[in-house]
Amino acid sequence: MHEKEHVLEILRETRNALHKRDVIKLRSLSNETIHSASIYKDTDSIMLAVILYSLGKIIERQNGGKVKGCDEFCKKASLFLEKALASLNANNTKEFSRNLEGIIKSINTLSPELKNYVRDVFEKAKINKASKIYEHGISLGKTAEILGITMWDVANYAGAKGVTDVSLTKTQDVKTRIKLAMDFFK
Amino acid sequence: MLKRELNLLWTSSNNPKMSKKNMLNKVLIFDSGSLISLAMNGLFPELKALKEIFNGYFIITEDVKREVLDRPLTIKRFALEALKLRNLYEEKVLQLPKDIGVNNKELDKEIKKIIDVANNTFFEKSKAIQILQSGEISCLALSRILTEKGINNIICIDERTTRVLGEMPKNLEELLRKKLHANITAKKENYDFFKGFRFIRSSELMYVAYKKGLVRVGKSPEVLDALLYAVKFKGCSITHEEIAEINKIG
Repeated sequence: MHEKEHVLEILRETRNALHKRDVIKLRSLSNETIHSASIYKDTDSIMLAVILYSLGKIIERQNGGKVKGCDEFCKKASLFLEKALASLNANNTKEFSRNLEGIIKSINTLSPELKNYVRDVFEKAKINKASKIYEHGISLGKTAEILGITMWDVANYAGAKGVTDVSLTKTQDVKTRIKLAMDFFK
Repeated sequence: MLKRELNLLWTSSNNPKMSKKNMLNKVLIFDSGSLISLAMNGLFPELKALKEIFNGYFIITEDVKREVLDRPLTIKRFALEALKLRNLYEEKVLQLPKDIGVNNKELDKEIKKIIDVANNTFFEKSKAIQILQSGEISCLALSRILTEKGINNIICIDERTTRVLGEMPKNLEELLRKKLHANITAKKENYDFFKGFRFIRSSELMYVAYKKGLVRVGKSPEVLDALLYAVKFKGCSITHEEIAEINKIG
């Protein structure tokens, strides 16, 4: 785990955000984690980013009361995050990883309806995080590889969100590129 | 395979309309993203029509084939698009490097060379940032091999990192710095290594289809705009401003 102090700080802030059910804060903490994930491709940072984003989504939608049992899942996840914080504090990175994985594994113990719902949220969170990494300048293929998803998912999502709509990506005059394409088909 | 051998390839081709010279010398290399945007927009008939008027080969590498065809065939969400792609592959609209005489060993060697440089160009502190993956690099590798053999080639790629690295690496450095909020350093001496690649996107490809009257829904400014936005929303890295410029050119 890179930048241990930074992750510890994120976990502490997560504790407060979960307590206050502060969805916006959870999302922003997830984004902070993704910076180091982009550089270090460190699986724990990626997992943490996906977990925080997913918890935010679950809490947000829970307010609509659509799926029962979300509250229990969040409490369970919160306990795992507490343990993860304690293990990282004790420099036990293996235990830290195990606790993050515990959250993912606990999805399997949920009722069928809730399991499908939470899995779906986690899958979508992965795509969202992938689009963030792609936005950071990592290629589409590499991003999909890091998150373990397909390029189809990332391309679709990133395209819809306009993540590449940045002037720095304009690297050649439009006319020149069009001419290149037209000439190639002559 | 040498040009002379490619000549034999052409001789065995059954399209009498093509001039021998053109057939030998043109290869359009497709990256995954460009095929994905075309697939998601149902634009394979246009791609097929383009191939019919193109005196050359449309090539995908084995890595790209895995990403756009083999893997999605196992995922229900994308299986239909993958099946359509498989048809294109079976009809030889899309072919593999070995079909133009580039063998895997040759390609792998070049991939290794490029991967080493590409993923050791940008650093955060002393950590090299892995920016590209094998599919994208395989397109660059194939392009380089073909260029060395004197075969005219272009890469059709929708994702931006590879393209920016090839055309303006300093922009990629700036983008990484800006987005990662980190002190990014670059081995600038590597920049020259990426010179010489030529890129178009699915947007330019569809522009060609539009200009040549190959788009099934017709030929009007409205169609062009819709085509460009369609590919943009499925991942083609083209900005609103660029689309506006293309529309103006018409």
